[in-house]
Amino acid sequence: MSGERIERWLAAARALALVGIVLIAESGFAAGAEEPRVIRIGTDVDAQSLDPRLQRDTTAYRLNNLIYDGLIQLDENLTPRPDLALSWLQADEKTWVFTMRRDATFHDGRPVTPDDVVYTFESIRDPALNARFRSLYEPIETVEAVGDDQVRFTLKAPYSPLLSYLDLGIVPKDARGRDLNVNPLGSGPFRFSRWERGGRIVLSANEGYFAGRPAIDEIDMILVPDNTARAQALEAGDLDLIMSPLSPQDVSRLAADRRYRHVHLPGISITYFNFNCRHPVLSDPTVRRALAMLIDQNTIVQQIYGGIDVPATSLLIPSLRWSYTPEIRQPAYNVDGARKLLAEAGWKPGADGILVKNGQRLAFTLATHAEDANRIQTIELLQNTLKQVGIDAKVSVTDWPAFIGSVQTGNYDMALLGWTILVDPDRAMYGQLSSSGSLNFGHYANAQVDALLARGRAVGELAARAQAYQSAARIIAEELPYYVLSYAGFDAFATDSLSGFAADARGFLRGLAAP
Amino acid sequence: MGYLLTRLGLFVPMLAGVVCVVFLLVHLVPGDPARVLLGEDASPQAVAQLRHSLGLDLPLPSQFLRYLDHLLHGDLGVSMFQNVPVLDLVLGRLPATLELAAFAILVSVCLGVTLGCVAAVFQGTALDVLCLVFAQLGVSVTVFWLGILLMLAFSVELHWLPAIGRGAPLSTVLAAAVAGRPVALLDSLAHLTMPAIALGMQGAAIICRLVRSGMLEALASDYVRTARAKGVPRFAVTVRHALRNALLPTVTMIGWQFGNLLGGAVLTEGIFGWPGLGQLAVGAFSQRDLPLMQGIVLTFALIFGLVTLATDLAYGLIDPRIGSR
Repeated sequence: MSGERIERWLAAARALALVGIVLIAESGFAAGAEEPRVIRIGTDVDAQSLDPRLQRDTTAYRLNNLIYDGLIQLDENLTPRPDLALSWLQADEKTWVFTMRRDATFHDGRPVTPDDVVYTFESIRDPALNARFRSLYEPIETVEAVGDDQVRFTLKAPYSPLLSYLDLGIVPKDARGRDLNVNPLGSGPFRFSRWERGGRIVLSANEGYFAGRPAIDEIDMILVPDNTARAQALEAGDLDLIMSPLSPQDVSRLAADRRYRHVHLPGISITYFNFNCRHPVLSDPTVRRALAMLIDQNTIVQQIYGGIDVPATSLLIPSLRWSYTPEIRQPAYNVDGARKLLAEAGWKPGADGILVKNGQRLAFTLATHAEDANRIQTIELLQNTLKQVGIDAKVSVTDWPAFIGSVQTGNYDMALLGWTILVDPDRAMYGQLSSSGSLNFGHYANAQVDALLARGRAVGELAARAQAYQSAARIIAEELPYYVLSYAGFDAFATDSLSGFAADARGFLRGLAAP
Repeated sequence: MGYLLTRLGLFVPMLAGVVCVVFLLVHLVPGDPARVLLGEDASPQAVAQLRHSLGLDLPLPSQFLRYLDHLLHGDLGVSMFQNVPVLDLVLGRLPATLELAAFAILVSVCLGVTLGCVAAVFQGTALDVLCLVFAQLGVSVTVFWLGILLMLAFSVELHWLPAIGRGAPLSTVLAAAVAGRPVALLDSLAHLTMPAIALGMQGAAIICRLVRSGMLEALASDYVRTARAKGVPRFAVTVRHALRNALLPTVTMIGWQFGNLLGGAVLTEGIFGWPGLGQLAVGAFSQRDLPLMQGIVLTFALIFGLVTLATDLAYGLIDPRIGSR
């Protein structure tokens, strides 16, 4: 080869080497650069509104709990802890004063002030807003800003559960034209980034969060409506965290898989039978007692619900430890006992084998909604049991809007449904079973229960409240306007990327905000 | 041309009929959106108040006229539950469903035609039996079950494909791919594969049988024997002569299948977390979001009408015997 050629080859080689070094160096940079820490959470329903005053689905509750702060937060024991409020005191039985922190800011930089708190609570109580949870805040008379860092709540009457409901996200008084339903603006550990409708909602860490920037950079709430598909997506590595609702088979499979951390908590929801106390047959407490004795609680919970839930003892909820006692019990499963009870009450088999008394057949309709296969199986099983004893129960299954419409208007006999987010016994009992309660669809009326529930709401001291609710629960377990089938269990599965993750029984994700 | 205009003209009364029927059905079905919106905690007064503000307490004819009036101005109303204009919601989700449906048809056609041809050409052999078994399984298996199985196999076990979600829209990544950046396109296709197979499988099975029987008929006919006698190569005979005739019922089938596809998309989108109209429909119907329900059904009717029209026109193109007069 000529010298010239060699020179040219050497020059080319040098150039190539240089390019090679640069490329390697750059890729080295890229490998060394920090990957953003993204947590992908599977959810079963798309959020409807990200305005905390208008939220009405679990996805929105969980996201808003990250986007917004409340005066307080409920910890994993459902105990109120400081959040925007540093401290609080009950000045008298109808007055609460909260002292706010001064260093909280909304995600657009403006400080969170008492005026924003006042605005939030006044607007949620405004009937025109049609807030779903308005009734929780109805006992509030006024909310006022006091000075530049205090808020005073004046109640119409003593209302002990108030504190449990003050984790409501605080919205800015002046949203500056932003529609908070779709473009939320809070002060919480995560800020809203974008919403791919039907796909995912993305939150990013709030750099200036007063409790410290979260260690997690981004949260993706990904919609996977099908419970089994969501579990499989976790196993495929497409998700980092999934939560109830999950099918029992997936729960047991994932629980046995050591790749995932399993959190199982007694939840704060119940599945229960609601009796229409104005029904000609079901108005008799003896009949309701007999029916309770024909509900094979353990079989239903183990076989149909796969053991995820816990058979209930009464309307008292174990998660609310300060009020719970296992000593108050509904009637146990006892087919012969039920037969005897009905016979003693004068129910005799008619010509068609169905029990009759004074010309009235022991017949009614068992209703539930179509979306929950477990509930449908439960009432079908019950129908079968009842038939053997001579009770004619027809099964009626309709979709949720039709079902809840008929229940709310009192057009039902015996319905199987549930209550959720029962963070206080008042929430499980007052509206539902006091005779003038707005949720008393079955028109149950007992003056003693009314007095006890009113007392539970008014009295401040926890032990006194507990006693009132336990006494009420005892009467309810005897008269049975409700038969509580089970306490819903809560399950969550997380990959190792979420070490130290702690959910609470509501499935809220504040634990992800850890700095 | 006249034929096309006539058919397009017939659209208007068709849509008008759909609007009337949907409005009636949606308003007569039990279940009150105001109650669902306000939740169990709603007092009767609150429900009545909300019904009034939503115009639900007006007599049905008045509500209908109001809806019609808005519709003629291009206003499909606002979703009761999401507080977003229905048109925006529908147009936002439509591309995803169309993408899925188009790929499902591609799967149906490619798989179905290929297997149908193979079965016909190799009639009586093990290959033929295999194709028939596939056809039987394909119509028997539900979209739902197949989707879960595919996810289990290809995502959970093999980690070959992403389990859920949609990649970037094909319309945006195609340009990038042509410009030399194919990664996004591959990602989008990877997300599309399982949902499209699950949705298209039934169509593939039906088309396979149709093509097979059509081809068997065609291969036994005089004109094919003439062509073979004249020395036309076997492949040319199969494709250009036999297949073309066998495709006629297939084209109709594709048009008919599209309606099924829109319905099947509802299930498929739920399994794979595909952000399309099907999912939107499930949510709207389960809550009685009246304006959204109406908007979605109207959209489906429009699409279905257009696809049927396209099918008829394509039929005319494939078969020179059929044409406009």
